[in-house]
Amino acid sequence: MKKFYFVMALLIVASMILTACGTPAATEAPAATDAPAVTEAPAATEAPAATEAPAEVTQEDCVTEEVFCVGVVTDVGKVNDKSFNQSAWEGALKSQEDGVADLVQFIETADAKDYAKNIGTFGDAGFDVIVTVGFALGEATVAAAATYPDISFIGVDQFQAWEFDEDAANDVANVTGLGFPEDQAGFLVGALAAAMSESHKIGAVCGTDVVPPVWRFGEGYKAGAAYADGLNGTTTEVFVVYHSDVGFDKTFTDPEWGAQTATSMMDQGADAIFGCGGLTGNGAITAAAQAGKYAIGVDADQYLTLPEAAPRMLSSAMKLITPGVADLVAAAKDGSIKPGNFTGLAGYAPYHDLESEVPAEVNAMMEELNAALLDGSVTTNVPPVKP
Amino acid sequence: MQTEKPNSLTSQILQSISNASLIPFLAILTAVILGGIIIKIVGGDPFLAYKGLIQGSLGSAKALSETAIWATPYIFAGLAVALAFKGGLFNIGAEGQLAVGAVFSALIGYGLPEWLGYDLPAIIHLPLAIGVGMLMGGIWAGIVGALKAYTGGHEVINTIMMNYIALNTTSFLLNGVMKDPSPNNVIARTPLIAESARISPLFEGLRVHWGFVLALLVAFLIWWLLNKTTLGFEIRTVGLNPDAAQYAGINVKRTIIVTMLLSGMLAGLAGSIEVTGLNYRHELGFSIGYGYDAIAIALLGKSHPLGIVLSSFLFAAMRNGATRMQFLTQLPVDLISMLQALILLFVAADAIVRYIYRIKSKGERVVLTRGWGG
Repeated sequence: MKKFYFVMALLIVASMILTACGTPAATEAPAATDAPAVTEAPAATEAPAATEAPAEVTQEDCVTEEVFCVGVVTDVGKVNDKSFNQSAWEGALKSQEDGVADLVQFIETADAKDYAKNIGTFGDAGFDVIVTVGFALGEATVAAAATYPDISFIGVDQFQAWEFDEDAANDVANVTGLGFPEDQAGFLVGALAAAMSESHKIGAVCGTDVVPPVWRFGEGYKAGAAYADGLNGTTTEVFVVYHSDVGFDKTFTDPEWGAQTATSMMDQGADAIFGCGGLTGNGAITAAAQAGKYAIGVDADQYLTLPEAAPRMLSSAMKLITPGVADLVAAAKDGSIKPGNFTGLAGYAPYHDLESEVPAEVNAMMEELNAALLDGSVTTNVPPVKP
Repeated sequence: MQTEKPNSLTSQILQSISNASLIPFLAILTAVILGGIIIKIVGGDPFLAYKGLIQGSLGSAKALSETAIWATPYIFAGLAVALAFKGGLFNIGAEGQLAVGAVFSALIGYGLPEWLGYDLPAIIHLPLAIGVGMLMGGIWAGIVGALKAYTGGHEVINTIMMNYIALNTTSFLLNGVMKDPSPNNVIARTPLIAESARISPLFEGLRVHWGFVLALLVAFLIWWLLNKTTLGFEIRTVGLNPDAAQYAGINVKRTIIVTMLLSGMLAGLAGSIEVTGLNYRHELGFSIGYGYDAIAIALLGKSHPLGIVLSSFLFAAMRNGATRMQFLTQLPVDLISMLQALILLFVAADAIVRYIYRIKSKGERVVLTRGWGG
């Protein structure tokens, strides 16, 4: 046995040594020189010579003043998740199309402990803006902002609490949290649901009202329905139920409760259900779709993320992350970006399969309403937090 | 070789090195070439990808520090699986034991000062946080050991089931009573642990911490335990042949329970060190899949502590280098996992490599088929 282990140990040592020397044989040569400028020179000179028409910008150029580089760090999702990460990445791509950013790149995080490292990878490469997606990266983003004071950080869905505390020591000069007017998004789909409902009864199944954004979705929904009633001369009964009294472990992850609650609303005659609150809301949406009622999603266009409900998905109350990110990147470039909290825009998703069912006048009302919310001529009157 | 005296020690060693290293070298070479082809197919530049992998894992002090950070839990968890292998037990539950260790370390880390109402000195708080996490991980696995010893319930099934219980309970706790109560927090995570329960970094400005040194020490300790102590002898004997061990007067049931207990403690330690050394809290996104990677690491390291340290480094380098590789090439991060699997496949299944390169196995055959961990 001893001998066997000795051989095994040797084998492993040797394999490690050989990995180190063997693998790079072809690739190490450039890496060993340790001077990116030198090693990348062929690539850089080749590119213009080759057929690629636009001036090729490489990562090495990001350290220079003239080249504006934007890096996106995802949370443990991917840039094609049809949700937050993808929207943020599309925002970065949009800023490139708009000619604001010269180079955009992403790093997908595989493990939460890599947040700091992944942000640092862009930081060390001299990127000008780093977009971090999701609340989970909030602390890592603020920490990185201190390490890289010259870089603008955009935190999607990261509430910057320091803006409101008294202690100036907590202030951060280069982080902007991108938030959204959830009440406006709820308002839009509330108006849509009220206008589309034949029974004049609509419902919303939400997570806990202790979380302010969730509460704003629900209250916005009510306000939107009331607004549409005022326009159309109807009286719509709105059921809004929060899954509040169960604790945080359950409130967003209880699709069965969501489905039951939605079903009981439909039993009472509701024919449009807005699900707002993670899996709980998804349960309600799916139940509504299966019953052949109108289903309304939340956050992103859930037609794309919830295929089982897609055929009956009327719309979704959307946080417009893509334009929000693009706007903030542009603001970072021209220097007008402000640290603290930035409120982006809300919207509603396309009707997709139900487009033919939406009457032209309802569509016109929605477009007007959307514009009115944008220019401020209509307000939701929903306070930021539950009074 | 024929001309020289075959018994000269140096020539023997040289020969065994060349014999032993040829296959892994070819295995890794094959995997790298194959991986390169795949990278090429998906539209990437293989040379740039490998350059990123090496730069990102070994290219700078920061890169080395991050590799060591990744290696630390791998070493602990790899040792956990290997120790069980040695005792003839398949601990598939390292993932769950790790989570249990992490949860309890976090609980002691943030909760104890709150309950007591005063701050503890680090010299008491830190060992307590690590110790409780380690112990709970051990108990979690020890339950499975006891079930195996007294009822014959198979440890593979039971550790997998215990994984479900551990991971879902963790999720329940992190979303519930243990959730960070700071306003606006929507993440399933505990509050930050107290300063007094944190392992300090090894160097200023780098994240690598003393837990890494501890991992290396523990690896040595496990080697010593297995090879130089009566308990280690008992574990190995039970692992090789429980009937013979019984006949020789070893208490097999006790040994099975102790083996699982120790294995679970090592896995729990992996979680504890992650919490106290690196993350300073437990969060659902942290430490996903280490317990499963650990099985591969133990297998690749042939259940030898030194082998585990080295294979942990190989895994850590690949995981860590993935960021830079992605940065340079914009390839999906999943590709790294695939590359890792390829290397593992070729290293572990040396018959494939022998077949590809037409190498006849000679003399001492590398025994890989005797079961996990040999």
